[in-house]
Amino acid sequence: MKFSMLPSVFTQMFKKPWTNKFPAKYAPDNTTQFLADVGAGKAELIPPIETPPNFRGKIKYDKEKCTGCKLCLKVCPCEAIEFKEKEKKIKIYLSRCCFCSQCNDICPSNCLSMSDEFLLADIDPYSKDLIVE
Amino acid sequence: MSQTTKTTYHIPIGPIHPALKEPVYFEFEIDGERIVDVDVKLGHVHRAVEWASRKRNPIQIMYLAERICGICSYCHPAAFTLAVEKAADIQVPERAEYLRVIQAEVERITSHALWAGVAAHEIGFDTVLFLTWEMREKLMDLTEFLCGNRVTKGILTIGGIRRDITSDMVPKVTGVLDYLKDNFERLRKIFLDDKTIKMRAQGAGILTNDNALKLCAVGPTTRASGVKKDVRVGQSYFAYGDLNIDYVTPDTLTGEVNGDVYDRIIQRLLEIKQSIDLIEQCLDKMPKGDITYEPKIAKVLNQLKKAEGEGVGRHEAPRGEVIHYVKLDGNEAPFTWKVRAPTYNNILPWIPMLKGEQIADIPIVAASTDPCMSCTNRVGIVKDGNKYELTKEELHRLSVEKTRRLMR
Amino acid sequence: MTKENNLTPDVIIKSFKDKFKTKIIDAQIKKKPAGSEKKEAIDIWMKVDKSVFKNVIKHLCDLQYPHLPVASGNDLGKNIELIYHFTLNFDKRLEEINLNISVELPKSKPEIETICDLIPGALITEREKQEFLGVKIKGIPDDRRVFLPDDFPKDVYPWRRDEKGLEKLYKNLHEVKK
Repeated sequence: MKFSMLPSVFTQMFKKPWTNKFPAKYAPDNTTQFLADVGAGKAELIPPIETPPNFRGKIKYDKEKCTGCKLCLKVCPCEAIEFKEKEKKIKIYLSRCCFCSQCNDICPSNCLSMSDEFLLADIDPYSKDLIVE
Repeated sequence: MSQTTKTTYHIPIGPIHPALKEPVYFEFEIDGERIVDVDVKLGHVHRAVEWASRKRNPIQIMYLAERICGICSYCHPAAFTLAVEKAADIQVPERAEYLRVIQAEVERITSHALWAGVAAHEIGFDTVLFLTWEMREKLMDLTEFLCGNRVTKGILTIGGIRRDITSDMVPKVTGVLDYLKDNFERLRKIFLDDKTIKMRAQGAGILTNDNALKLCAVGPTTRASGVKKDVRVGQSYFAYGDLNIDYVTPDTLTGEVNGDVYDRIIQRLLEIKQSIDLIEQCLDKMPKGDITYEPKIAKVLNQLKKAEGEGVGRHEAPRGEVIHYVKLDGNEAPFTWKVRAPTYNNILPWIPMLKGEQIADIPIVAASTDPCMSCTNRVGIVKDGNKYELTKEELHRLSVEKTRRLMR
Repeated sequence: MTKENNLTPDVIIKSFKDKFKTKIIDAQIKKKPAGSEKKEAIDIWMKVDKSVFKNVIKHLCDLQYPHLPVASGNDLGKNIELIYHFTLNFDKRLEEINLNISVELPKSKPEIETICDLIPGALITEREKQEFLGVKIKGIPDDRRVFLPDDFPKDVYPWRRDEKGLEKLYKNLHEVKK
């Protein structure tokens, strides 16, 4: 009985796999020791694949240009932006943000933009890395 | 010897679904190995999406609509913007209409490639699963390049589209289309010339033309039974009125229509070919111009706040017809928003399809209609029944064993 | 499966008005152009009195067997409005017509007849209206709940905006987090 997939299976055995082995080839036994080794120059981190241009990563906020008009609060679907009354500036909670970049489009003074940072995992949702102000 | 009568017995299956990774509850009445009757219960992933729209303005609702389902995450915002544009009488520029068609067709090819892999996995052909999902990875890379994200695209807005395809992005799009055309022949040979797939799929799960019309089935499920229903061909919306498009039914390839699982496989492969052709037509004919009717979103919100009226928006998603109904009444949030996903109408046809089949055929018949339960239910409380249940692994094992038996 | 071969919107409205005269309260045609060649999509919105509803649907099935995607509902204060969205002419290029028939029911007696004997595919959408709006559909073959769980309180109808709505069961997310 003919198997139509057999030629594909043979060629596949000799091809190099597509996977990019980020951050290391095998999972390290002791993660903190591995990171200390990288810092001391004894081990190497394989970098992730490049993101395309216009990728929607972590949000960047330019505080001087902000005028306090509150339009970004009106249009955020996740209620991730808070307004600080006394200073008339905003505070963004990344643990609620859904990266839609709608606030970038509506801002009249162009003070918000998306960078290409995507390695944002953290234990505490309100830690310093996850609040932009 | 005393006479014993044979009675049927009931098997409940679910809410952990056998054919797709989403919860549905079936109850089968079985006589030996044959199915006598079927009952379906829904409601396991109901999430109160329509109720959440009562406190949000239309731009926020677009992102809520996108998260109704992961695989069909473009079709719900598309139908919503069509409904709002009809209710508030907004005219969209021509270039935006062509761009919307290109994004819709890319999503259709991605969804059909995913389905082909899942169907092959249910029969027992895991190698084909990885082959089709490798094709899908190239399409995901293309989506990330065009929209900024792989799954939740966020590319539509009311009155236009958010990102343009400039002339330096076009070579990448045509590169992916050429790769798909080269691999299409390989895919067609695997699915349609293989004896095992023909043995399992021909004659299983038949839906007649009459039943498909009366039960109001939609999408590739009904076109594979010979009924010509396709929103893109029948109605003029986005730029489909200008393109050269026609109904696709299985008799263009084989010459006859049976309505079984094999016909549905042919139907989806032919639709991939049609989508590649439509994208090429759009790239040729696209006019120059703006991409939204009003670039300042604050003005759009003000206009929608004062608008009054009602509108119905229909779009052809990869699984069928999506319809949204919106009523605006002069407040910030719409008065009513009704969502109907395509799998909603494809649930009743399961009953005539499954009567008379064997238990081991349940995964492949249910998967051939391409169900998407997250679209169907929209409010979520999961409950655990405490009856005896056939788990997903058991059913999958039975289905694979039947294939091995037929191969000998 | 068409008995008449060209059903334009005017022909459809005229055939209903000839048969039912004043019971058709209102009928409007709306058109919307799209694309470069500006071909139009056609919608008909009809308001019908509830006493002739079943006969209107029977007349429609005789004219041409329609496609019923869904029925939606509105809570208008004193009345409940049900809108049935139909589609005709679906097998010809660029000739589909969307027909939306709306019926108003008073809240004191929200009852209407089923159309499952004419169009069997309407079962799930009728069950959904029963549990979400509190409409009683006479003669429906299957009476169970379809989306809400079985232990949901019996007299609460989620789409209504009056005292039978959901306001008491709703919890504000930010308050709960504190």
